[in-house]
Amino acid sequence: MRARVMDRVWLPAALILSGALAVWVLRASLDDYLLSIFNFVGINIILAVSLNLTNGFTGLFSLGHPGFMAVGGYLTAILTFPAGRKAMLLPALPAWLAAQQWPLLPALLAGGLAASLTALVVGFPVLRLRGHYLAVATMGFLIIVQVLIINLESYTRGPLGLNGLPMLTNLWWVYLWVVAVIYVCWKIKHSSLGRTMLAVREDEMAAQCLGVNLARIRILALTLGAFFAGVAGGLWAHLVTAITPTSFSLIMAFNLVVMVVIGGSGSITGAILAASGLTLLTEVLRPLEENLEMYGINEVIMAVGLLAVLIFRPQGFFGSREPSLLSGRGRIRSNGRSGARE
Amino acid sequence: MSAYVLEQVFNGLILGSMYALVAIGFSMIYGIVRLINFAHGDIVMVGAFVTLALIAVPGLPFPLIALLVMAAGLILGVLIERAAFRPMRGAPQVTGFIASLAVSILMQNLGVLILTAQPRNFMLPEYLQTIFHLGPLTVRAIDLAILIASVVLMAVLVLMVKRTRLGIAMRATAENIDAARLMGININRVIMFAFAIGSSLAGMAGLMWGGKFGQIDPLLGFVPGLKAFVAAVIGGVGSIPGAMLGGYLLGLAEVLFVGLLPPIYSAYRDAFVFGTLILILLILPNGLLGRSVEERA
Amino acid sequence: MLELDDIHVFLKRTYVLKGISLFVRRGEIVALIGANGAGKSTTLAAISGLRRPRQGRMVFRPEPGGPELDLTKAPAEEIVAAGLSHCPEGRQIFSQLTVKENLRIGAYLRRDQEAVGKDLDWVCRLFPVLAERLGQRAGTLSGGEQMMLAIGRALMSRPKLLLMDEPSLGLAPLIVEQIFEILARLNREGVTLLLVEQNAQLALELAQRAYVLETGRMTLTGTGKELAGNELVQRAYLGAV
Repeated sequence: MRARVMDRVWLPAALILSGALAVWVLRASLDDYLLSIFNFVGINIILAVSLNLTNGFTGLFSLGHPGFMAVGGYLTAILTFPAGRKAMLLPALPAWLAAQQWPLLPALLAGGLAASLTALVVGFPVLRLRGHYLAVATMGFLIIVQVLIINLESYTRGPLGLNGLPMLTNLWWVYLWVVAVIYVCWKIKHSSLGRTMLAVREDEMAAQCLGVNLARIRILALTLGAFFAGVAGGLWAHLVTAITPTSFSLIMAFNLVVMVVIGGSGSITGAILAASGLTLLTEVLRPLEENLEMYGINEVIMAVGLLAVLIFRPQGFFGSREPSLLSGRGRIRSNGRSGARE
Repeated sequence: MSAYVLEQVFNGLILGSMYALVAIGFSMIYGIVRLINFAHGDIVMVGAFVTLALIAVPGLPFPLIALLVMAAGLILGVLIERAAFRPMRGAPQVTGFIASLAVSILMQNLGVLILTAQPRNFMLPEYLQTIFHLGPLTVRAIDLAILIASVVLMAVLVLMVKRTRLGIAMRATAENIDAARLMGININRVIMFAFAIGSSLAGMAGLMWGGKFGQIDPLLGFVPGLKAFVAAVIGGVGSIPGAMLGGYLLGLAEVLFVGLLPPIYSAYRDAFVFGTLILILLILPNGLLGRSVEERA
Repeated sequence: MLELDDIHVFLKRTYVLKGISLFVRRGEIVALIGANGAGKSTTLAAISGLRRPRQGRMVFRPEPGGPELDLTKAPAEEIVAAGLSHCPEGRQIFSQLTVKENLRIGAYLRRDQEAVGKDLDWVCRLFPVLAERLGQRAGTLSGGEQMMLAIGRALMSRPKLLLMDEPSLGLAPLIVEQIFEILARLNREGVTLLLVEQNAQLALELAQRAYVLETGRMTLTGTGKELAGNELVQRAYLGAV
């Protein structure tokens, strides 16, 4: 008994605390540029893990994640924007909205919720599609969102975007949300909901025969993933202090997919590691791109990497597993059975 | 009909011809391997750039350039099939999709890396730039050439699919791979030919695109490729006549959308195209002419 | 002419054929009977190259004393070229192609255009119904007609060995009789036949020898008469009480 409590509480608590310690140390010692890299790593972790929920656990293939980021990002930005300037730049905003000026956390939550609502609305029709048709439809969604943002200028300032956003994001906020998304996804994965999602991924027809309400699970997966994407969008906007329609593009969707696939669809640890690794790789390659004018090399490497993984190790580095160190002991002891086969 | 509308219709037909050529390639490939080839649109881009390079070579007659461009598209298509699609056979649908997306992004970024994102001007030989007057319309020779060449290519393709041994083999394979193998058909070769033919058409479309719009850049293939895919879906993926129909419908719709509606809406053009895609996928998943090709015998 | 030795086949993760052996002599009709799901169709699919066995030996010798073809390695196209034709379960004709195109594609590998034309006529004489419907889309044919088309198509490659998978499935008794008569006739004209059938009675009447397949294993073998007279077979497959 004592061992079980220790496993379930001790290890996660230790991880969270050491993470917090790391954040404190980093903020004290690094300069702004390096800190911002860590911020990006964190944001990408949030994105990759939440995408994993939709794509990896449930097997839905959604390329629409950046679209949810855009919805969340723009709403968050609009809410934190100083009231006076808001009314000037975005004339079509209703007066009550233009008068608001919120701190970061409620704005992020609102952004996340808006993204979730969008997912709900979009999900109902679109999630009836399967396989690559779903993927193409989500791509269409992404493009439609972009076009809408560009053209509804009086709400969003169109192609110019919003800049001069307050730099409210810092490593603590990012860390908070990283912990939140990992916690939520971990809990889900090791619950009956998570097992249901995996069942849907493995064999939809069999899952249906077992009474699983497919539509509900798929919408849930999409909506939940979208929430975190929206939050990530808000965090991103307040890190870069600007937000434009092209910030959230198909390339970004592709990069997220690369992270999920390389890490292993269905593996949270995989998503974390892949997101970190690929973000850092992008940073390392940036001087090549800018100084040697080798634009595009980053994407070339990502694409080649993805193809290599797909050909030689299609399940990614971790497959659907978490390293046994983190999950095996806890799961087996917690319910006596050997848990869901992955 | 006023001259303006007529002109829009004419432009729509030209755009439609190009979409149709690319859409045919999509449908051919999809019909046989059941995979969406994202990189198809980028073959168009390569075709455009190869044309540009060949035009610069002094003394090459334009028809020869056209043939060489088609050959370039053909080779590229076969390479893509070998490198990215063959290893994915038997994998779930989505994996093939991601792989082709990766190839597309790879090609685009290689293009940017090697050629830079700067748009280049497309120089057509003099005789293709001459202007004709057909009734109320003012057209350039290249426009007519595009229309005629497309129709000819499509006719040749349809004949090939209906009459030749290879065409029958392709149709059989598209319907039932195992039964086709039992006839002694070499599936690998059939797939290779599908990619080859579809990609050569895409290469030709690249030449036409450059000729029509005058400016090319490495990212030009992506959106038209997607739109050609939409056209194929509208007509019914896997159906060649469907692809042609879808191509022309989409071309006409897009041009008329922009030309006839008040200018505020023209920026919504892309949203309109993709909105149509989603609608079709939901309401009429087999498109206008397609049959239910999803379940194979 | 055909020999299978300890063949093991897995379909995805299911162990379907668990070490079966059989042989077919030139000119024979051999039947393979058994219940649904016993693995009969899988056996034929393994022979024609559609499914690869994980283990075991399979050879096909089209000419007496001639070269052997290793069926475990050869691609399906080569197997067909060697003279082994498989008429699959459920007919599986190309419904989008016309009757004539279906027949012609049966002769896909043949180069002798004139002889192909003659064979087309021959098949049309064998199945007059097909001659009437040459220009029609194959999907519009009735079940029995499709079966005849499938057989005709398999014959167009002038096979030396014909694998028939459940010719009687879903067809009216009168048509089934016709088809079996035609099969007997083909055998007399020199085509060796390996017949998979659920209808054990018809199969045992037609065949000289037979094998019984039960859940992936060969349980019995003998001449058609021997098996028909076997009590176990009678109870399990022939409906005796």
